[in-house]
Amino acid sequence: MTSGAAASLAGGRTAAARLPAPLRKAARLLIALAATAVVWEGAVQLFGIRPVYLPRLSAILMSIASTPQAYIDGLLRTSAETLTGFVAGGAFGVITGIAFFRLRALKDMVFPIFVVSQTIPVIAFGALVVLWFGNTLLAKAVIAFYLTFFPVTVNTLLGLEMVDPKQAALMRSFGASNSQLLWRLQLPTALPQIFVALRLASSLSLVGAIVGEWFGDTTGIGVLLLQAMFTENMVAIWGALLAAALLGTSFYAVVAAAERRLVFWSAEQ
Amino acid sequence: MSAALRSPTLAVQRGILGAVLLIACWEALARGLHLPSYVLPAVSEILSGVWTQRTALGAAAGYTLLEALSGYALGCAIGIVLAVAITIVPLLRSAILPAATAINSVPVVGYSPLILLWFGIGIASKTVMVAIAVSFTVFLSTLAGLDRVDRRAIDLLRSFGASRFAILWRLRLPTALPLMLAGMRVSTVRSVIVAIVTEMLGAYGGLGWVIYQAVLKIDFVQVWSAIFVASAASLAFFGLIGFLERKILFWT
Repeated sequence: MTSGAAASLAGGRTAAARLPAPLRKAARLLIALAATAVVWEGAVQLFGIRPVYLPRLSAILMSIASTPQAYIDGLLRTSAETLTGFVAGGAFGVITGIAFFRLRALKDMVFPIFVVSQTIPVIAFGALVVLWFGNTLLAKAVIAFYLTFFPVTVNTLLGLEMVDPKQAALMRSFGASNSQLLWRLQLPTALPQIFVALRLASSLSLVGAIVGEWFGDTTGIGVLLLQAMFTENMVAIWGALLAAALLGTSFYAVVAAAERRLVFWSAEQ
Repeated sequence: MSAALRSPTLAVQRGILGAVLLIACWEALARGLHLPSYVLPAVSEILSGVWTQRTALGAAAGYTLLEALSGYALGCAIGIVLAVAITIVPLLRSAILPAATAINSVPVVGYSPLILLWFGIGIASKTVMVAIAVSFTVFLSTLAGLDRVDRRAIDLLRSFGASRFAILWRLRLPTALPLMLAGMRVSTVRSVIVAIVTEMLGAYGGLGWVIYQAVLKIDFVQVWSAIFVASAASLAFFGLIGFLERKILFWT
């Protein structure tokens, strides 16, 4: 399902990563970016697209360059919120996944509640969280956490259940303890699945941070988006969208790089 | 046999026990500590709030579900058509896949200010937002399913003189169906949530609008009532698509 979809996306990524020189990869990326920029700029000029629909890229970049501090502050603030929520959500997801795997009764009791919790619209939850924690960085991180943990729980459980019982029996027969079994066999087996969820969670935590900022804040990408909407400033909306894309893509790339490093044995997801 | 029959009912019993425990703790906490309703209203207060405002909440839920369903249908259609188009015309893959990935690199909710300015604050903007959110998931899962086809099966069909269309219709689509429907099932809850989130930024009605108004009025019993209705609507939608999935995939 989601993991399959994410895996196919990763397939395209790893295919590009198979090129030996990372330099060539970077060059290709730069060329693709430059081509996109030229097409964007050219199409807007050529077809006379009105700025209401798509402003010129140069106009957007110039507007960012004229007030760089707002964008830098926004990026830093939003990435701090995203990262805090992501780390907390990832850790909580892995721990609950292990707990559900070990204690079936707990899983049967709590897992349905987790499922229902994910149908609560994030803005309603956001309103409550901002009320509970005040309009702080913590409140946004909690919202990011709430969007992040569930896929990690699900995939950790899924990965742990993929452990071959015969391997576990073999390790047990050599007298492996529960924690040895967990660290040497179960977690490594589950790791590829966990990373599929973490990649998905990286973008979800950004969504949480941005929506959280809509409840009245002064810095952040979500704030930039909302202010631009209220002033109907199309160039500023696109500037904030570019900032969000930059943050989302780099965060995803970091998680994917960590995956390639830690899950070195499965080159193809 | 009997163990296999008994274990699901045991799981259901434990699930019910978990829900009852949660509600009991919640109620005891809210009543016992006399928490003000803006911190945590008691479950009984929320349920009576749902009951007294049932017509207003029902109308709002209908409005939101209309947006979510129309966006969902549009998004599924776009996702499936694009995935099939890529499979039929492989040349399109190198154009559509990077574009789709680039669009998806911005979190979906980030587009809502733009879409609201383009399409106004009526139903159209929410439909478009839901369609964007749904189409990418359905596109990727359908594509994964279409790519999963066994090469040898294609060669076999081709050796019998099957056309490209016949291979698509008789082999690729049936093979892709399980993954495609799984993607569609996952997208249901998402579609309702995206509709509600977009309503918060501007709308004439719907659950998101009700929630936002209630937040401004600091009426948190109403916020929780709307959350309750939204969850119920999402679960019903999820259940419906899950039910259809099991009906369509009779062979699995």
